[in-house]
Amino acid sequence: MSKVLLELKDICKAYQDGSEKRLILENISLSVEAGEFAAVVGPSGSGKSTLLSVAGLLLTPDSGSILIAGKDVTSASKRERTGIRRRQIGFVFQNHNLLPFLKTEDQLSFVQDRGVKDKSKIDELLRELGIESCRSSYPAKMSGGERQRTAIARAFINDPDIILADEPTASLDAERGRAVAEMIKAEVKKRNKAAIMVTHDTRILDLTDKVYRIEDRRLVAEQ
Amino acid sequence: MRYALKEIAFEKKKYILIELLLILLMFMVLFLSGLASGLGRAVTSAIETMDADSFVVDESAEKMITVSKVETGLLDELRAKGVEAAPLDIHRMHIRKQDDDEKLNITYFAIEAGSFIEPEVIEGKGLSHSDGEATILLDDDFRVEGISVGDKVVDAAAGTEFTVAGFVKDRMYGHTSVGYITTDSYTKLRQALSPMYVPEYHAIAVKGDKDLGLDPDILESVSKKEIIKNIPSYTAENMTITMIVWVLVIISAVIIGIFNYIMTLQKRRQFGVMKAIGLSGGELAGMLICEVCIVSVFAGIVSLGLTFGMAAAMPEKMPFYLEVSNAVTVTAAFVVISVLSSLLSVINISRIDPIIAIGGGDNE
Repeated sequence: MSKVLLELKDICKAYQDGSEKRLILENISLSVEAGEFAAVVGPSGSGKSTLLSVAGLLLTPDSGSILIAGKDVTSASKRERTGIRRRQIGFVFQNHNLLPFLKTEDQLSFVQDRGVKDKSKIDELLRELGIESCRSSYPAKMSGGERQRTAIARAFINDPDIILADEPTASLDAERGRAVAEMIKAEVKKRNKAAIMVTHDTRILDLTDKVYRIEDRRLVAEQ
Repeated sequence: MRYALKEIAFEKKKYILIELLLILLMFMVLFLSGLASGLGRAVTSAIETMDADSFVVDESAEKMITVSKVETGLLDELRAKGVEAAPLDIHRMHIRKQDDDEKLNITYFAIEAGSFIEPEVIEGKGLSHSDGEATILLDDDFRVEGISVGDKVVDAAAGTEFTVAGFVKDRMYGHTSVGYITTDSYTKLRQALSPMYVPEYHAIAVKGDKDLGLDPDILESVSKKEIIKNIPSYTAENMTITMIVWVLVIISAVIIGIFNYIMTLQKRRQFGVMKAIGLSGGELAGMLICEVCIVSVFAGIVSLGLTFGMAAAMPEKMPFYLEVSNAVTVTAAFVVISVLSSLLSVINISRIDPIIAIGGGDNE
């Protein structure tokens, strides 16, 4: 059995909605192993993004614990969380979220860990994702697919333990969306990462290893 | 630094506009501060450039040379003690050219020819080269009036004639140009106006810090700095102008701060994303402050160049005087205040919640 890289245990999260508290996630537990590509689906507003934010240390759960690479990070300080996000978590966002003023290779070196200015790593990722030709282009000059692939490269640059993808195909057409999901899958498998992808797009679920559905605040495994 | 430069290079148009605005503001500040110190110099330069350390004035004069009275015997007493001392009278009058009725303001500085407070001439000869003739050294502003070396000028009230022996540079007192005459000429001039005049000095200029052994009830020794401060209206004028300059420095720097703040507001999402992917608040603040530094230092350098270039091209009579050290202080203060005012943006960045990176593009 492979190593579990991400583990969520009994996560609860509620939002203050006016005067009452609205429970979004209730006792959610989930573990993802190295080399596993999991998908989380569910209707909008069901708490998919909240779950991803909790896993990505952007939100603190009301109860429950988060383990990354076996280490409990539930009560890490704000500063520690920032460091963990940089080194152990790779994000792929819905709208690429690249910095408009940086060329592709700078997008990667900008987030590369300080002191680890390893150019060969950048070259390798650009080659694998087929965006070498965009090396010196600004995001505004690239196609949607190229941007999203750059964002994937950025997510992998610091060799993180887990990859969190938030609707990575939402801004692309079916064909390009599928290509992007395939690339995430290929990188996850090759580099042995644990990945969670939140998505609407049921046509790419066949690429994932496991599919979870959020229903009534609870996480249910499908298949 | 590298990424800050990349951002500036990418947003060229935006930054060129901001830079232009800053340069204009800075230029205005520097130019005004040059005019301010030029005006200040117009009040004090004859004293400021004088090679004396302190002045002996009478105790009741409240540190003003022009109303002080010192007996002539004191000069010899001081000299007998080995003190380097020289007599000084300051008197504001009018002169006219020999064949002209137009009166020109002048402040006489009556000194002993050859004493250490006699200024260096930039044209002509010093006072000691007179052949018994009454001579005068004029501030070079009088050249603009068409006076040249060898001309005769006449005291408008007493009718005493002086031959212009030479010109000196940058000697003003109380907004008038100074003319240096000998103490003897001065005594004659005063006697021509009132036969009762008994020779006396307004003050005695002293070099060095020897103990003068003055009777504190009658006399006091006042430093050059104090004397300048007590020139009528100097402190008040100077304070007003200095205030204007510093208020402008602060306003301009705050304008940069506001620009910067607006720009960070526009980039909230970008900062949220950077935080989400693990860039620390310190790194982001560093980048922002770096940008502010680059922009304001560049504006500072350009406007310094502009100001000094402009100063070189300005007419002589314009009271513009800007010391490099002074200009650099103002510029440095400008940079520091801009950085401080951008701390507002830093606080704003630190409050951005990285969660705005998750979800669609528009939710803030």
